Amino acid sequence: MWIYAGRRVIQGIITVWFIATATFVAMHSVPGDPLLSDKAMTAEIRANLAAKYGLDKPVFPDQYMTYIGNMLQGDFGISFTQQNREVNDIIREHFPVSAALGILAVLFAALGGILWGALTALYRNKLPDIIIMFLVILGISVPSFVFAALGQLGLVGLNSWAGQTVLPVAGWGTVSHMLVPALVLGLSTMAFLTRLMRSSMLEIVNSDFVRTAKAKGLPPTRIFLKHQLRNAVLPVITVLGPAIAAITTGGFVVELVFAIPGLGRYFVEAVQQSDYTVIMGTTVFYGAFLVFMVILVDLVYGLIDPRVSVE
Amino acid sequence: MNSSADTTDPILKVSDLRVEFDTYGGIVQAVRGVNFEVSEGETLAIVGESGCGKSVTVQSLMGLIPMPPGRITSGSAQYRGQEILGRTRINGRELRGSEIGMIFQDPMTSLNPTMTIGDQIAETLQVHRGFSKRDAAARAVELLSLTRIPEAEQRAQQYPFEFSGGMLQRAMIATAIACEPSVLIADEPTTALDVTIQAQILDLLNDLQRDNNMAIILITHDLGVVARMADNVAVMYAGEMVEQGTAHDIFYRAAHPYTLGLRAAMPSNVDETAQSLQPIEGSPPDLFAPPPGCGYCARCPHAVEVCATKPPPRFSLEAKHNVKCWQHHQDAPSPPTELFLSSTTQAGDTAAP
Ligand SMILES: Nc1ncnc2c1ncn2[C@@H]1O[C@H](COP(=O)(O)OP(=O)(O)OP(=O)(O)O)[C@@H](O)[C@H]1O
Ligand SMILES: [Mg+2]
Repeated sequence: MWIYAGRRVIQGIITVWFIATATFVAMHSVPGDPLLSDKAMTAEIRANLAAKYGLDKPVFPDQYMTYIGNMLQGDFGISFTQQNREVNDIIREHFPVSAALGILAVLFAALGGILWGALTALYRNKLPDIIIMFLVILGISVPSFVFAALGQLGLVGLNSWAGQTVLPVAGWGTVSHMLVPALVLGLSTMAFLTRLMRSSMLEIVNSDFVRTAKAKGLPPTRIFLKHQLRNAVLPVITVLGPAIAAITTGGFVVELVFAIPGLGRYFVEAVQQSDYTVIMGTTVFYGAFLVFMVILVDLVYGLIDPRVSVE
Repeated sequence: MNSSADTTDPILKVSDLRVEFDTYGGIVQAVRGVNFEVSEGETLAIVGESGCGKSVTVQSLMGLIPMPPGRITSGSAQYRGQEILGRTRINGRELRGSEIGMIFQDPMTSLNPTMTIGDQIAETLQVHRGFSKRDAAARAVELLSLTRIPEAEQRAQQYPFEFSGGMLQRAMIATAIACEPSVLIADEPTTALDVTIQAQILDLLNDLQRDNNMAIILITHDLGVVARMADNVAVMYAGEMVEQGTAHDIFYRAAHPYTLGLRAAMPSNVDETAQSLQPIEGSPPDLFAPPPGCGYCARCPHAVEVCATKPPPRFSLEAKHNVKCWQHHQDAPSPPTELFLSSTTQAGDTAAP
């Protein structure tokens, strides 16, 4: 188990290094100059900045080595467009917001997917199954900004119907601010996981070992929890890593609609303004975050499925 | 049965069991009026070719028939005199796993892959016998050693993927006998195993039966297994039991042409006249629309007119030996000599021609 975990972490570090290098190469091959884009920059500032980032030196190896070296020390540099803001500060300030939203969304998606999936499988071809599977198709095919807008509309309606603010329509700060955005954010993943869970559960329900459990005379709840659910949930866990990636990267739209001060918004703004340090910093940070989430998911999988931990 | 004084009361008695399935092609009549019984300490083997309804028969006793599409349309099954068909408990007590244990053909897929072997054995004790988790775990280890798994203590902590096929089947047996059931149903328990392991598993079942006085219902294709294990044999064909008798009856005094055909078609060291293997020509009848007469009629070398039109009744040859074949009717013109014919052939309980 520990050897396996260690190996995965080393693989993860290599992956992150790869992401960092790829980002670096990509940023240097797009046309444009970060220091030219801002008109209000004097020649003096420009020279200072160029010296600070070593922009007067060749890209390889000098600039690259500086970049990697700084990153190893946890320094992603200073924003090109926001005065005096370190990329680290931006991440530190806004990532927790995105992470809280993302974690809640993943929780909604995973629990909802498992619950609805199991339910549809148990009620196969009956009314609950038909209704939920219809909603699943909606959830998968309708883009998230539509749900975001609808969710906000729903909140407005709810609040005016209740005559008071049941749940805030936008903004950030309390758990009640998070609920609807997180639900919207997790919705398509929940729909996807529901479908996966349903097919996995249908397979398990007809499996030999569930028949054995019945022949052992175990009560249905025990069969469901100990024999069906635990095995049916395995395929869902394997895709949870990519699902977390989908949710975190899909957070931009929801953050924008609900006016949530998350990292996604800064990332999009940075791209629009060619804010090189912010782009590189957030990309590498997101990349590292996702890589380690996937590792975490795989380790959890190893705990649930005894067959993988030994390999 | 009315006469024989030495027969003990059957522990399980099944009569006129009928099971059908709804399928896209129509209704499959998988089991068409099956009667059998088994007593304590006795092994009943059910033999017959693939698809004849052996598994459906025993699974309907265990409440394992998926409904829908399955349906038990008639019949009765009495466990110690109490009706159990269509229910899984009597007097508020669960039967399955506690009074009746069952093991299956493929041990590789019949155990939960994410639960330790020990836990899978222990859980029946916890559920049916109210054992604490600790006591159940300790008993599970004892049961594993009882089924001759070496280093049972460590093995109990392992998962099914760490076991070989033969060991998994032992673990299945340990699970099935954990609550000391009176009846053990084994549906082709050795089909997936190689021959030496097969013999060990059969020996184990024999020993367990002797120690616990269990009744065993053993489903198999293999007449060698029958010879080794069975006291009584039921030969199934197309959803019916066409011949029943003691193992000796079936091997030496077969009274149904299908039983003879089966014996000729199967390698067996018991049949001393075995020369070359003779396949039975043709295939079993369509269970969507079973023929009006005898199901074996189309393949039977001895068929006469009545076979195609009227189902044969059950003829009793001796106390335990009965057969469904028109050749045993008293007016049968010239019964073939290779069939065992009782001198006092009489019409059975169901009908007269
Ligand atoms: N769930 C089901 N749905 C439809 N038909 C079924 C179902 N289960 C069994 N049958 C049918 O019932 C008949 C008897 O099947 P069964 O499994 O009892 O055969 P078997 O004698 O055990 O054969 P084998 O030796 O291959 O195990 C078959 O024709 C099969 O197609
Ligand atoms: Mg079968």
